Amino acid sequence: MTALDLQALLPLVLTTATAIAVMIAVTITRRHGLAAWLCAAGLAAAIASIASARECAPRHISDLLVIDSFARFYSGLILAGSLVVAVLSYGYLKLRTDRHEEYYILLPLAAVGSLVIVCSANLLAFLLGLELLSICLFALIAYRRTGRGDLEAAVKYLILAGASSAFAVFGAALIYADRGSLAFGPPGLALSSPVALAGIAALLVGVGFKLALVPFHFWTPDVYQGAPAPIAGFIATVSKGAVFALALRYLSTENLLADGRIIWLLTAIAAASMLAGNLLALRQDNVKRMLAYSSIAHVGYLLIALLASASLGRPAAAIYLTAYFLASLGAFGVVGALSQPTRDADALADYRGLAWRRPFLAFTLTAMLLSLAGLPLTAGFVGKLSLVFSGVSSALWLLLSALVLGSVISIFYYLRLLAALFATPPASEPAISSPNTPWPTTAALLFLTVALLAIGLWPAPLLDLIQKMAVAAW
Amino acid sequence: MTELWLIPALPLAGFLLLLIGPSLGRRASSLIGAGSVGASFLVCLFTAWSFAGKPITQTLWHWFTVSNLSVDVALRVDQLSLVMILVVTGVGFLIHLYSLGYMAGDDAFSRFLAYMDLFVAFMLTLVLGDTLLTLFVGWEGVGLCSYLLIGFWYRDPSNGRAARKAFLVTRVGDTAFTIALFILATKFHTLNIEAILTACQAWPVGSALAVTVAGLLLGGALGKSAQLPLQVWLPDAMAGPTPVSALIHAATMVTAGAYLIARMFPLFQLAPDVLQLVAAIGASTLVLAGLSACVQRDIKRVLAYSTISQIGYMFLALGVGAPSAAMFHLVTHAFFKALLFLGAGAVIHALGNQQDLFKMGGLRKALPATFWTFLIGSAALVALPPTGGFASKDLILELTWASAPGARWLWAMGVFGAFLTAYYTARMFALAFFGPPHSHVHHKPGPVMIVPLILLAAGSLLTAALDWPGPLGGAPFFSHFLAPLFPVSDAHEVSASLASILQASSLASALAGIVTATLAFRRFSPSVSPDRPSPLVRFLLSGCGFDSLYNLLFIRPFLFLTRLNRNDILDSFYTALAWVAGLFHRGLSRSQTGQVRWYAFALALGAVILLAVMVLL
Amino acid sequence: MTPVGLQHYLVLAAVLFSAGLCTMVVKRNAIGILIGAELLLNAANINLLAFSKYSAGTLDGAILALFVIVLAAAEVAIALAIFLNFYSRFASVDVDRGDQMRG
Repeated sequence: MTALDLQALLPLVLTTATAIAVMIAVTITRRHGLAAWLCAAGLAAAIASIASARECAPRHISDLLVIDSFARFYSGLILAGSLVVAVLSYGYLKLRTDRHEEYYILLPLAAVGSLVIVCSANLLAFLLGLELLSICLFALIAYRRTGRGDLEAAVKYLILAGASSAFAVFGAALIYADRGSLAFGPPGLALSSPVALAGIAALLVGVGFKLALVPFHFWTPDVYQGAPAPIAGFIATVSKGAVFALALRYLSTENLLADGRIIWLLTAIAAASMLAGNLLALRQDNVKRMLAYSSIAHVGYLLIALLASASLGRPAAAIYLTAYFLASLGAFGVVGALSQPTRDADALADYRGLAWRRPFLAFTLTAMLLSLAGLPLTAGFVGKLSLVFSGVSSALWLLLSALVLGSVISIFYYLRLLAALFATPPASEPAISSPNTPWPTTAALLFLTVALLAIGLWPAPLLDLIQKMAVAAW
Repeated sequence: MTELWLIPALPLAGFLLLLIGPSLGRRASSLIGAGSVGASFLVCLFTAWSFAGKPITQTLWHWFTVSNLSVDVALRVDQLSLVMILVVTGVGFLIHLYSLGYMAGDDAFSRFLAYMDLFVAFMLTLVLGDTLLTLFVGWEGVGLCSYLLIGFWYRDPSNGRAARKAFLVTRVGDTAFTIALFILATKFHTLNIEAILTACQAWPVGSALAVTVAGLLLGGALGKSAQLPLQVWLPDAMAGPTPVSALIHAATMVTAGAYLIARMFPLFQLAPDVLQLVAAIGASTLVLAGLSACVQRDIKRVLAYSTISQIGYMFLALGVGAPSAAMFHLVTHAFFKALLFLGAGAVIHALGNQQDLFKMGGLRKALPATFWTFLIGSAALVALPPTGGFASKDLILELTWASAPGARWLWAMGVFGAFLTAYYTARMFALAFFGPPHSHVHHKPGPVMIVPLILLAAGSLLTAALDWPGPLGGAPFFSHFLAPLFPVSDAHEVSASLASILQASSLASALAGIVTATLAFRRFSPSVSPDRPSPLVRFLLSGCGFDSLYNLLFIRPFLFLTRLNRNDILDSFYTALAWVAGLFHRGLSRSQTGQVRWYAFALALGAVILLAVMVLL
Repeated sequence: MTPVGLQHYLVLAAVLFSAGLCTMVVKRNAIGILIGAELLLNAANINLLAFSKYSAGTLDGAILALFVIVLAAAEVAIALAIFLNFYSRFASVDVDRGDQMRG
């Protein structure tokens, strides 16, 4: 362990320290604001530590972790996402339960789990990170304990995540049998051995569950609906982004795409996710469920980047994920900002005529939905465009047609919500009288919107950054 | 001179300021709205002062490169565009000044000024554009502003209809223009006007390509300048506020077609057939529009038809190979037609939005300043000496006569047009200012409206000096100024005696028109007018029935087709798709039972399938 | 009688894993489901340890097994807390009660 190792590990260290600092602060004095700001400041410091680190050569830290520019890019994305979630949570929790402080211990810990996943060079580290993330999420989903939904969602996530990670551990064991080590390649796995193949299949169950891919997607809408809106945003973005980055790394270090069966399986899963996700969202009247279904489809799109050639696929994945992070967090942020202490604003009726009551929130949501739909001038368009380019260059025609079909379907339900936003407000009192938005929430939403439009209008800086960071070979 | 960009940029900045700050207040809005155009005028004057006869080009930025077509955004000032920018900013400034008074009571005062500023900016882009694409941006931009301003009082649906009509009809011409742009871009790999005019000299005279391109450009010009057969939109365009009619639909925008032909004149010279067509269209337009003007009751429609007719003269001049005469008429027309429109506006304003000539009368005493300036404008329109209108129209008729032996009938139509012009002008003048008053004068125009009238009246007179006929002791300054672009050919020389005869005949026809109208309308009283006009009058009132013709030819069949296609087969295909998607949605939704044990089962099943595929296959 | 070897461990693990999976799908009692999940994890653990001893010859597997035991304990702790809350709200630990969210 050298000073340079420590510097490379600084984001992880700082995020962990944030959790500990909040824990200590809570023992001294229970103040919501203090805990929230400590958490936000810690996460911001962790982001700064990534930005300040100049060195780009990959560093292996023992056998478990590797910090290269790829890991640093996704760490930055995860930390930024967690920071936004923390800020949004502050406004969200202010109206709710009396005990807020532990929330800000769990959130950075979940972020640490995600960071470990992104940086892992070893199945042991991956599984550790995965479990850390899951366990924190169990508690975060059930955090309010007020409604039936939270507990139901927590139980569902708990049971299914437990089963899926058992599959992952089982898969790791099988791969270990073939390999004699838990470290990632090279040399790549012997794809001829049935034990290794079974291991990969079992591992794929664990990954597929976290990514909410068909047929492991069933939990998604229920958990999103039951979880607090910011946590739903966290599950949709940070948790998925981390696992996706790991999948990207694992697939290429183990050279798994050399096997036709894996390509075939991933293609089938991707196409099924795109179609099923969009079709399920089609006439969904619950906004949180709609966003959940659409997130299934979005990860389906992302698999195109996974299957495409690395030179185009990796930047495409990074761009698409960035756009997806911004838009999803923004959408869930608006849902959270509109929510009442007793229930989240998740009915379509709550959004009818929102543009006339809360123009800022309506405008933000509009931008987010347009980006999710991939319409021009938003980051989502840039993301989808690079995804399509990567798919075309690798001739993934089946997936591209599924993407086109899925996008067409998705426009319907995004526009359905948009139309509700701009519908003439009902004469009677609105179904939900939403509280005033606290300024941190407004600031976070403003940041997301500006970033979304800025990337949509002028993507060059982000593309440069991604070319520099997210593509580097390992 | 590198401040060329300032000329369109100043009004554009005015537009942006007015757009951002609608709450600026009237005083600041006025200052920005009129001041930006005035400042632009000063820059134009400075440009003119420092102009040394050589064209100046200023490349602002590189726009785009697509394969081998590279387009810059560049401005260029030469003799032709210098004349145009002076007219646009000079007359434009006076009209802006006038509208400060005219529009003072309107709620959307700053919106009006913003649109007007935007219009001036686009018009200047049009005339200064060094590439056809820059010109086209201005061309479409002025179309947009015209649309916005015709429909300015958007609460009345008929104004919106007029705006749509103007936009759609000019679009027909614009399509032709666009196709011409594509052809030129593919042939020459450039859209730079200078380069195109040089390169096209390689084409033989009368070659199919030259005829095609010139014909398509002419199509664009016909739409913009409201010439046959695309003239139908201009009379309806009078739905906009009167200053708009003065600036856009009389003085500047509608002359853009004539400007385009003059700008691309070397190309048109390669297609003599098209030039003959231009002359024929100009001559027929000026007669038809003149006839329609003779029966209109709405003062603005009289002026609208008169504008169509006067632009017909410009096209006639262009067609017989006298672009400098056309440009001269453009300049004089800009002054006197703006003057007439603003005068009409003052009358309408004074009578509380009364536009019906039959309900005016006797305003000579009530509105003396308007009366005198309107008199000068009318004299210029009728082409009586010593006005600018006399000098320019006379030049056109003389050159028409001299252009070719076969062009005598064009000259005859021009002279007949002069008679018609005199007739409808005198009729309008008599109905408005003489006879018994039929309406009460609400308020008199203030100085902010009168001063522009006086300045424009002075301009209408002084422009005569630019190119006063030689036999009457003048010198052709204007033609000489434009000579680097349009060389004066000897073939157009007419002997002094013949020139005098020609002048005398056109003057005689004008006087005949005045006398006829005066006799008919001096003691006119509305009760005399028949309640049901005769079929001929109705035919002329409707602008020679073009609207009904187009209705029959295009609109009805189109509506018929759309009705046929209402439940079209493609639509049912999409409905079926949506239905299938809905079916799948319901089916899949049923799988989301909410039962965690079912979810766990599905997970296990998925795992089994994955394992089976990986291990067994 | 053959000595106990890798095969036996693998068969045991497979049986345990299947049993755990069946338990999770069949049981309605949340605690039962939790036990099923534990079976799954322990099946994986047996595999890890068996491979560590017989096949790979490294300690990686044994270390992972240790971690899995710790993580399983943490998971159970949280799970029990959630079930307790679930019980106080639904007056039962029947997971089928929680099917409000669907469609």
